[in-house]
Amino acid sequence: MVEVIRTDVLVVGSGPAGSTAARFAAQGGVDVIMIDKKSEIGSPKRCAEGVSKEGLSHVGVELDPRWITKEITGVRMVSPDGTDVWLTEEEIELPEAGYILERKVFDKHMAMGAARAGAQIMIKTLAKGLRREADGSFTVICEKMGETFEINAKILIGADGPEGHIGKWAGLKSRVKPNRMESGIQYEMCNVTFEREGVIEFYVGSCAPGGYVWIFPKGDDIANVGLAVIADKADKPAIEYLDDFVKTCPYTKNAQAVELNVGGDPVMGLVKEMYGDNILLCGDAASQVNPLTGGGIISGMSGGMYAGQVAAEAIKAGDLSKKFLKEYEKRVKDDMGHDMEKYGKAADYLLELSDDELNDIAHAFQDVEFTKISTTQIVKALVKISPKAALKLRKFF
Amino acid sequence: MIVKDWCSYCGECSGVCPRDCIEVREYNLVFSQDCNDCGICVDACPLAALEIEEK
Repeated sequence: MVEVIRTDVLVVGSGPAGSTAARFAAQGGVDVIMIDKKSEIGSPKRCAEGVSKEGLSHVGVELDPRWITKEITGVRMVSPDGTDVWLTEEEIELPEAGYILERKVFDKHMAMGAARAGAQIMIKTLAKGLRREADGSFTVICEKMGETFEINAKILIGADGPEGHIGKWAGLKSRVKPNRMESGIQYEMCNVTFEREGVIEFYVGSCAPGGYVWIFPKGDDIANVGLAVIADKADKPAIEYLDDFVKTCPYTKNAQAVELNVGGDPVMGLVKEMYGDNILLCGDAASQVNPLTGGGIISGMSGGMYAGQVAAEAIKAGDLSKKFLKEYEKRVKDDMGHDMEKYGKAADYLLELSDDELNDIAHAFQDVEFTKISTTQIVKALVKISPKAALKLRKFF
Repeated sequence: MIVKDWCSYCGECSGVCPRDCIEVREYNLVFSQDCNDCGICVDACPLAALEIEEK
């Protein structure tokens, strides 16, 4: 007889989205179990680690120096011919900025936050499959170090990342098309040089077809140097683009890698179905990622927050139906739906530009005065200077 | 499918798999019988760690 554990809420995956879902569900007063297949939550990281200050406070996270490596004070964009566009304290009075995290520490702290709120955590526990019971609840078949057992949950929260199966097994339309799944790769390096402190740098163009190269500073001479490409726009594996970049970029040519990170990044905007009877998806599993920047820590955690809140409310109300859980989608869409749409449009436009067009834009940006650092400001400026961009993006920005 | 020993189990392959037939374990990839060698995962792998097996 297989052991069956019963719980109100089961969260699969303990990245930032899953841990936030577990924390909010537990704070809502229901029983929560969170499983993760890995032996160490947060490791290996699959991420460039940038978050906004505002975002962290939105999801109720207090700052802790143990997981902050560097404060971001500006942005530098570099076009294919090497033209810089700077948005830093020298250009802008009050930068709205963020931090580069240490995800290995951050993710564990987020999971601890869930545990302290009352969630039970099971690491090294893989979800192998699921079935729906007659009462509508889900039973997830789990495997932990050779042992098989089952967890029955009134509400299942899939926070199982871009590779996740939970939504698909449950029959939700949550698939991300391969041409909307970026192939990401990154080195954490030392001996990186910077022209200005605390600036996140983006290199656009054919150095990373379908994506961009980033250099995110982590204090001293350390940085995450990575890129993402879309496989059908690329003509070689992502790692070859990265090795070429590192060799030729003057700021990384002496850098030494101490870590290699890889992973998929879903950039299609929200999945079609992020909820159903007794089930919610959040984080990368729901493609809660900015389609232009590929950033998904805060949006995934916001999704997790709403998933946890609504799961607890549903259990307390005794209504686990799709109709009740629609409230989850409503909160997600009110929060990020518009951004997903507009950044998706911006990405569709920007990713089609040739190196020459990107150079022209960078030259025109030399005369633009920015007042605030944000993705919206940058795209707004682009709409002003480029008739082609205006045509495609004006109504969104 | 041949999984090279430099695979880092990041899950990119499973994310793009149209048949949802790749189980990403902590230190292992398991392809189910449903795999029809479409090669989408091979192209998406950031590390070029997958290769279609000659039959």
